[in-house]
Amino acid sequence: MSMAQGSSRRNGTRLGVGLLALTLTAACGGGGSLGGDEGGGEGGGEAGGTVTVGLVIPQAGVYTPLGEDMQQGWDLYLDQHDGQLGGYEVETVVADEGESPDTGVPAVQRLLTEGEVDALVGIVNSATALGVAEQVAEAQIPLIVANAGAEAVTKDAGNPYVWRTSFTNAQVAAAMGEHLAAEGVGPVYVMAPDYAAGQEVVAGFTEAYEAAGGTVAGQTLTPFGSTQDFQPFLSNVQSSGAEAVFVFYAGGEAVSFVQQYDAFGLKDSTPLYGSGFLTEGSVLDAQGESAVGVRTSLHYSTEIDNPANTEFVAAYQEAYGELPTTYAVQAYDAANVLDSALEGVEEVSGQAIAEALETVGEIDDSPRGPWTFNGQTPEQTMYLREVAEVDGTLRNTVVTDLGVFAQP
Amino acid sequence: MAGWFDANLVSILNGFAIGSLLFILAVGLSIVFGMMDVLNLAHGAFFLVGSYLAVSFVAGVSWGGFLAALAVAALFGLLAGGVLSGMTEPLARRPILDQALLTLGISLIVAEVLSIIYGNNVRSVPGPPGLDGSVQVAGSTYPTYRLMLIAVGLLLALVVWLVVERTSIGALVRASVADREMVSAMGIDNRKVKFAVLGIGSMLAAVAGVLGAPVYGARPGLDKTILILALVVVVIGGLGSVRGALIGALVIGQVESLGRALLPELASFILFGTLALVLIIRPRGLFAGKVAHS
Repeated sequence: MSMAQGSSRRNGTRLGVGLLALTLTAACGGGGSLGGDEGGGEGGGEAGGTVTVGLVIPQAGVYTPLGEDMQQGWDLYLDQHDGQLGGYEVETVVADEGESPDTGVPAVQRLLTEGEVDALVGIVNSATALGVAEQVAEAQIPLIVANAGAEAVTKDAGNPYVWRTSFTNAQVAAAMGEHLAAEGVGPVYVMAPDYAAGQEVVAGFTEAYEAAGGTVAGQTLTPFGSTQDFQPFLSNVQSSGAEAVFVFYAGGEAVSFVQQYDAFGLKDSTPLYGSGFLTEGSVLDAQGESAVGVRTSLHYSTEIDNPANTEFVAAYQEAYGELPTTYAVQAYDAANVLDSALEGVEEVSGQAIAEALETVGEIDDSPRGPWTFNGQTPEQTMYLREVAEVDGTLRNTVVTDLGVFAQP
Repeated sequence: MAGWFDANLVSILNGFAIGSLLFILAVGLSIVFGMMDVLNLAHGAFFLVGSYLAVSFVAGVSWGGFLAALAVAALFGLLAGGVLSGMTEPLARRPILDQALLTLGISLIVAEVLSIIYGNNVRSVPGPPGLDGSVQVAGSTYPTYRLMLIAVGLLLALVVWLVVERTSIGALVRASVADREMVSAMGIDNRKVKFAVLGIGSMLAAVAGVLGAPVYGARPGLDKTILILALVVVVIGGLGSVRGALIGALVIGQVESLGRALLPELASFILFGTLALVLIIRPRGLFAGKVAHS
């Protein structure tokens, strides 16, 4: 309780600072916005104006590793393009999204009320993305969501200012659903944490899998954030007669699940499939040998064989000494999309960027392979990946691609 | 009935393993709060220190590493408990909330320092050699390490119970709970008693962290999850009672394991449902100590 009070007080302070800044701006006769006009006003890339982008990523809490990856992906794109997007000098303002909307929404509000940013990039948490969708539209500042996968972000709660370069939960799950039905693996048991994303994955998988003729052996939604031990649920999987298991877990839960799936002997009898986040990024190192052979669907893997990816992986490894993750690619592509959009912008404003995003068309040099916006979210290739040891490290090798999927 | 028992044998066994771990974790909290009136909310953070020490000593690679992690964790716990005892001394006559705020603050600082040292990635720790595999139990595969946890937990329960109930040190501790003034009138400095009890309580938390690492791993935020579980065990078992902590831990172990297996749709409710039920029937816990904190 005292923590909640602490954070609300801090948020209050932020809001207060924001309001103060706003008042000062007004008192100076809109000096801030005048400065902005001066920056990008001369029009076109060649004039060398500036564009200010707010990068909203988690710098504290459980999503911090994702935030670090996104920052690196964003920085790498800028480094490769002389710090420019569409000919404009880029000034990046980083804000801490934290773990939940309690911290994420005020972080975005502060950037919006200070009136300095022309576009926003980032947002890991879907609840935060949904919480700010209306506000960015009111402020007429485009937001490029670089992770949050809730369908509503670009559907029910969507508006012309909210774009996405990542995925939707159901999109990733549906690809695996169709694949498993086509493979005829037998009855599948479905598990996910009991919160919005988990429910979307379960619904997306089940719908696609059953529509393609598969049968579900059973499903369990496990308590989110309080499940350390999956044994009770795994014993239900064993007694259900399932021939395969499909799950969605991320972070600490992904590590516990994959290791316990092995320790309780299911790995040898029942193949494990999952949404790609099960084995993505740093969790794979922690899972170790237990993860070998796990198959997942996702829109990216370091092992995708195309020239853009080869170049990207090499550059990323050289810059940061580690393999890139899908989170890094999503931020990298957000920069790429902004780059294309800003090419056609005469005078930098949120509205102009949002309109230019409509005309971006196909992103043909993305590490994940070519993709296009469809309903302001990627229509993209899904890959079937299998964890294997390559050059002494565990990687998600690409088994095949599962075809192009849009937001369901 | 026999069929039901066979089908759920692994869940019951697992309940004992989790219960044993919870006992080692919670008994320190229970003794410190029940006997010394110090609500130590840094208990979960000390557990996490133990878990990260297991990561540092790569406990799984050799028994040497595992035992070294245990020894360092025990030493850390003793020292941390001693420091905590000194820090709470000026607050001894103030309301319990002041101590809770102090220890909560300490736990936040410890967690932040751990995240600076070890980063924010999830770490996992394999069991020591010989215990890192699985064995067949009644036709099901079960991790060997968890079987050892049951043995260690029961052994520790016996040792702690004997010390508190059957030795003169235990008698001194119980006496200073019952009548602090009388104990000091007999020439014994009860600050020393508090120092020792907090030291040993915190030592058990850090040791539980090492023992729990192969099961729970180590990651930011684990301290809070663990603290809540420990508090539930203490409330169910009753404060300041070794027997209560053991029964409470075993009950919660079964609730978290067998309960979740039988009623998966109630999984998130069942833990606190049990807590509520116990509070309604026995508000002071199943086995409250002889001198319960009011």
